[in-house]
Amino acid sequence: MTEMLRILLVLPMYGGSLPVGRYCGNALRELGHVVEYFEAPDFFGAFSALKTLRVGTDRLDYLENSFLQVVSQAILAKVETFAPDLVLAMAQAPLSRQALKRLRRDKVPTAMWFVEDREVFPYWKAFAPLYDLFAVIQKGDFPRQLADLGQTNSLYLPLAADPGVHRPLELSAVERRKYGSELSFVGAGYPNRRLAFRRLAGHDLRIWGNDWDGETALAPYLQREGARIETEEVVRIFNATTINVNLHSSVRPGTLVGDGDFVNPRTFELAACGAFQLVDRRALLPELFDEGELALFSDVDGLLDSVEFYRAHPEKRAEVAARGRARVLAEHTYAHRMRTLLRHASELMPGREIPVDDWRSRIAPHLRDEVEVLLLNLQLAPTVSFEDLVWTLRSREGSLTRLETAILFLDEWKKLYTGHRPGK
Amino acid sequence: MNSGENDMRGSSAPRYLVIQLARFGDLIQTKRLVRSLQVEGEVHLLLDASLKTLAELVYPGVHVHGMAAHGASAGDVLARVHEDLGEVAGLDFHRVYNLNFSGPSFALAGMFPWPRVRGYRARQGQRLIDSWPEQVMRWTRTRSVTGLNLVDVWGLYSRQPLPPELVNPDAVPRGGGIGVVMAGQNARRSLPAHVLAPLVQAAFARVGHGPILLLGSAGERRAAKELAALLPATLRGQVRDLVGRTGWRELHDAVGGLDLVVSPDTGTMHLAAHLGVPVLAFFLSSAWCHETGPYGRGHVVIQAATECAPCLETVPCPHETACRHVFGDPSVLRHVSGHAARALAPGCLVMESGFDELGLTFSAIAGTDPASARRRAFRAMAAAYAGVSMPDASAMSPDENWMRERDWMLPQTLRGRIHD
Repeated sequence: MTEMLRILLVLPMYGGSLPVGRYCGNALRELGHVVEYFEAPDFFGAFSALKTLRVGTDRLDYLENSFLQVVSQAILAKVETFAPDLVLAMAQAPLSRQALKRLRRDKVPTAMWFVEDREVFPYWKAFAPLYDLFAVIQKGDFPRQLADLGQTNSLYLPLAADPGVHRPLELSAVERRKYGSELSFVGAGYPNRRLAFRRLAGHDLRIWGNDWDGETALAPYLQREGARIETEEVVRIFNATTINVNLHSSVRPGTLVGDGDFVNPRTFELAACGAFQLVDRRALLPELFDEGELALFSDVDGLLDSVEFYRAHPEKRAEVAARGRARVLAEHTYAHRMRTLLRHASELMPGREIPVDDWRSRIAPHLRDEVEVLLLNLQLAPTVSFEDLVWTLRSREGSLTRLETAILFLDEWKKLYTGHRPGK
Repeated sequence: MNSGENDMRGSSAPRYLVIQLARFGDLIQTKRLVRSLQVEGEVHLLLDASLKTLAELVYPGVHVHGMAAHGASAGDVLARVHEDLGEVAGLDFHRVYNLNFSGPSFALAGMFPWPRVRGYRARQGQRLIDSWPEQVMRWTRTRSVTGLNLVDVWGLYSRQPLPPELVNPDAVPRGGGIGVVMAGQNARRSLPAHVLAPLVQAAFARVGHGPILLLGSAGERRAAKELAALLPATLRGQVRDLVGRTGWRELHDAVGGLDLVVSPDTGTMHLAAHLGVPVLAFFLSSAWCHETGPYGRGHVVIQAATECAPCLETVPCPHETACRHVFGDPSVLRHVSGHAARALAPGCLVMESGFDELGLTFSAIAGTDPASARRRAFRAMAAAYAGVSMPDASAMSPDENWMRERDWMLPQTLRGRIHD
């Protein structure tokens, strides 16, 4: 697809799909599209404050619903102004059913990337039929279930990595001491992880992340008292660790390992960092990675055996890590995923009727180089329309340069004097 | 003026930028703001290039920067604006006053750190309006009982507004005869030649001598000829038709020597007020002396005051501009000729300029203004909002329509004019 699209990316207010949404935005921009975020996290503080009111549950329910309606209205207002070719919502995006119906009525294509476990988050059943495209990270009978609910346009779209974020780092000795260990795990303290990792006690182990409350056996290994770790530091931990343990979460009692199909983002992120990981076998892993691109285990005993083996074989670790990274860069980046998603969504998007306007040819010669540099800095294709350039400039933070101001001025001037009103 | 501002940086005199992209009359009406800022520091003015010469005449000591705001061709705009902005782009402004609610003005605001911009600003593509201009816009929804002169609206942006009586000199006849301004920017606010001719004749009787200078742009030449033809032969010899023949400097010099300027609501009328030349203005249709009347002491406005006045110029008039007929009434002509009498045709007021603590006022010297008491109370309330001390501020409680919940609830500085 070569056409430049306007995409409104609706982020969730919080949660695991929030960083994934940002990676999608990075990728879409890298592909040359104009991306506008709906920054739902900015609303989360006010939403959370409702829960501190000490009012009746019926009142709280009413207030929360009312608040979310306002947030949905804000998204609709943004759609009206930005006139996107596609609204891409991440799991838990605060788009109400009413708002989704409105978008459908207005013929604004919508897509959801549901990057959650369908069994843990069953609310998808109420929302899936209201999206025009529903992308998921699981297979099995999921497409059929979606079709039964009326969502026939589903797409399997596994998670991925953002090479601009998840990358090998040269760490200083201080950083290695701060973040490094022989074994580490970054993530939430799901029950299966708590039980499995007790078997690692005695190793040089560090556990990073939240939701480990009350886990006394692993308390000596828990870092920063279970505080949430920001992505930038997570990448440093991945890079500083000899063996990254990647055990997928499970909420099913009694099952510690090997309980699911989807592959978590950590698998792709660790590989993209060129970091070595031991990851539990998943039903969907073989179609994503070949033998030798990841080191796998099937149960806790296997994990312990692998730890012992790879501790002793640094060259094997390096070989697997390098192959894993190569595979991710070749096939499993968010740019790959967004390209796939847009290909599937293309039939939903009739294409904007942009009048042919070779605006660049009318720029005074002495400004052309400066405009080229500007487009480059904004990651915009040389074929970008004047309207998309204007929109991108408007969303910039801080004071604008003289050239940027002059471009926005020209846009307003055209609206005043030529009656030309791009977009809405 | 706003004690909530404490970000004056450094000890050197602050540098201010005023962005005024509107037309002739608006430029002159920016005077209270510009003069107030000049007391405090260095003032720069960014305006349409066509007004640069005039601005330099009117605002000595101000750094005037012209730009291609209007009138350029689309192909030239980008390069010209880019070049024009070069003069101000490198300067560090303590504050930028962006005065016009227009797309180009919002675009220019983006060039400056948004917390330093007052009036109309842009933050990451979101247009923001300060609470002061927003409040003023709300007041204009009930124009007949409100009224704040535009000179004061803009002047009150400054921290220390110049006292209103110091903005323009008191109006004093200069001995050079009468100036007649042919038309305003909006035809509906102007008088046709057959209505204007008797008014000019009456004004001549008031002043007692000529010459009669006809003033206006080239597009009004035909109207000028019609007017001259309709004047009595005794006056025709006094006519000097300067329509379309004056540059800014010539207009400035010509107006500055007059005894009286007869005009609708025009830029030339504001220029006369700036120079302290008496104005006799006729305001009809959407023109409202309480908003754009000539600024200063000693001016008179004949204000059409039909029930529908002031109207919206963007809405077609369902009465065929009936409000203009009153200007031909003998009682009006008597007033214009200087024979003041209380009796006046209905639908009309003779208003005289004056001041209160907030700024310029107009009070009826003939005819009855039913809204005068309400307007006084409004001004007291508006003064409190603007942080200007005025007696009887409690006489009027703010109309619910003028307030929004967020005015009360969201953080604003002391007088509610800035919400950083």
